[in-house]
Amino acid sequence: MCGLSRGTPARAGIGLRAPHVDEILVTRPGLGWLEVHAENYMDGGPALAMLEALRQDYPLSLHGVGLSLGSAEGLNLEHLARLHALADRLAPCLVSEHLAWSLSGGVYLNHLLPLPWTDETLVVVSDNVRRAQDRLGRRLLVENPSSYLRFLVSPIPEGEFMAELTRRTGCGVLCDVNNLVVSAANVGLEPLAYLNALPADAVGEIHLAGHAENDADGVTVLIDDHGSRVRPAVWDLYEAALARFGSVPTLIEWDTDLPPLAVLQEEAAAAERRLEPSRGAGHHALAG
Amino acid sequence: MLSLADLQRGMTAALLGADAEVVRMAVAPDGLDPRARLGIYRHHVRTSLTAVLKDAYPVVCRLVDDRFFGYAADAYIRDEPPTEPRLFAYGGGFADFLAGFPPCHGLPYLPDVARLEWALHTASHAPAVRAPDGPALAGALETLIRDERTRIVFAVDPSVRYLVSPHPVDRIWRANQPDADPEASVVLDGESVHLEVRRARDQAGFRSLPLGEWTLRARLAGGRSLEDAAAEALSADGELNLAGALGALFNEGLLVDFTLTPIREETRPC
Repeated sequence: MCGLSRGTPARAGIGLRAPHVDEILVTRPGLGWLEVHAENYMDGGPALAMLEALRQDYPLSLHGVGLSLGSAEGLNLEHLARLHALADRLAPCLVSEHLAWSLSGGVYLNHLLPLPWTDETLVVVSDNVRRAQDRLGRRLLVENPSSYLRFLVSPIPEGEFMAELTRRTGCGVLCDVNNLVVSAANVGLEPLAYLNALPADAVGEIHLAGHAENDADGVTVLIDDHGSRVRPAVWDLYEAALARFGSVPTLIEWDTDLPPLAVLQEEAAAAERRLEPSRGAGHHALAG
Repeated sequence: MLSLADLQRGMTAALLGADAEVVRMAVAPDGLDPRARLGIYRHHVRTSLTAVLKDAYPVVCRLVDDRFFGYAADAYIRDEPPTEPRLFAYGGGFADFLAGFPPCHGLPYLPDVARLEWALHTASHAPAVRAPDGPALAGALETLIRDERTRIVFAVDPSVRYLVSPHPVDRIWRANQPDADPEASVVLDGESVHLEVRRARDQAGFRSLPLGEWTLRARLAGGRSLEDAAAEALSADGELNLAGALGALFNEGLLVDFTLTPIREETRPC
């Protein structure tokens, strides 16, 4: 039933958002798979019952936004237990979280906050990822963040940090291509070097989304708002990622100014067109 | 160099509005003042949490307008930031906050409107339960012996909440729905309201109840024994038809299960 493991033809899916649920329940459009934010379904209410109905027809990916894998104080074990219970109930094909933090001193800040890429951070995140994987009893995919700042003391390139994290914990990578473009513009990350640094067989999912361009005191800052179509630069980098990683399940994310479902389907179809030629291809390093 | 824990503590303070120089010093400018870079994160934290509150409290927002709501939300977020990632659970203290927020003192009904909205919000997120089997429950109750019947504690539908207010919050709420008549006004007549909030067919709603019925239901939902709840309901309304009120609880599927309170020590047989 689940076609999302490596070696299985990968498809494009969409992030499931509440305003689209009724239409999907009625029309059952031909989408490769659906991804949901885990925290929205942790109440046991009607939304969870709806999701259980949808998962009969669509492979499901569970995307956590609140585990705070980068918290120096460790994971919130109650929250980890809730994620575990939800994953047990929904049996998703993929479970993913973020290389970021949002919890400190008992305060949850509702943002994927930046980390300094240091040896200390690597130890903290590795411990947290191991603990999460042990509890969940499965491999976690960890997503690269979009950044609006970098720390002065941050000696490890982010791509190498992520690669080392996969080696230490056995976790996989959710490669958010839009985040790479955003971070490249905002903090000088080098996207192709990043893609080359990642172990190709660890990449289990790709995210695509739109971003906004804002002016901050005369400086252009890209904002990862998931509020528009995928930009050309992101499509270009996506093609490079597919050339590097081969065929990988790909998600269209859209969170603000949500358009009709048909627009997300068009974006998913555009990803499918690019996925098709890469099926069966091997892994290659990229020039650049 | 800051430890990761210190950096995160400092950044948490900065994102909630404190001036955290130690964090600014740790951020690379890259052509933009670190204050502005931290401001991007701070803006997102503030706007996303304000949106969460606005989603739970649309009538409060309409009553005070968007701008004032943002101002109050900002202060609330600083005072009581979320403590965990389930955002549907964030904002339960907003009514009490508004009650103590001096700029809101001219609107004495506002905290109770917020309490009604929170009850509706949490009712819509309450765990789903299978519809109770009324006849089976009634049959199980009939098998109890007389002494046991006084010790019944019911489990009620988890989406049910009971509120009382000295203000007509039900009418205020209805007059501030998107489809309400914009010319309609609500008379603040000082009559108290007793409300039952419940989710039905995936939609949370509420209704007003007479004092006796409300007392019976509210006490049962609060975990009081049937005997205690009935006594209180009769004391609140001597005219209450207790048998009819109890029958309605079964007919409406409000009662989902029951347990017996332990026998009190002094009444236990030797």
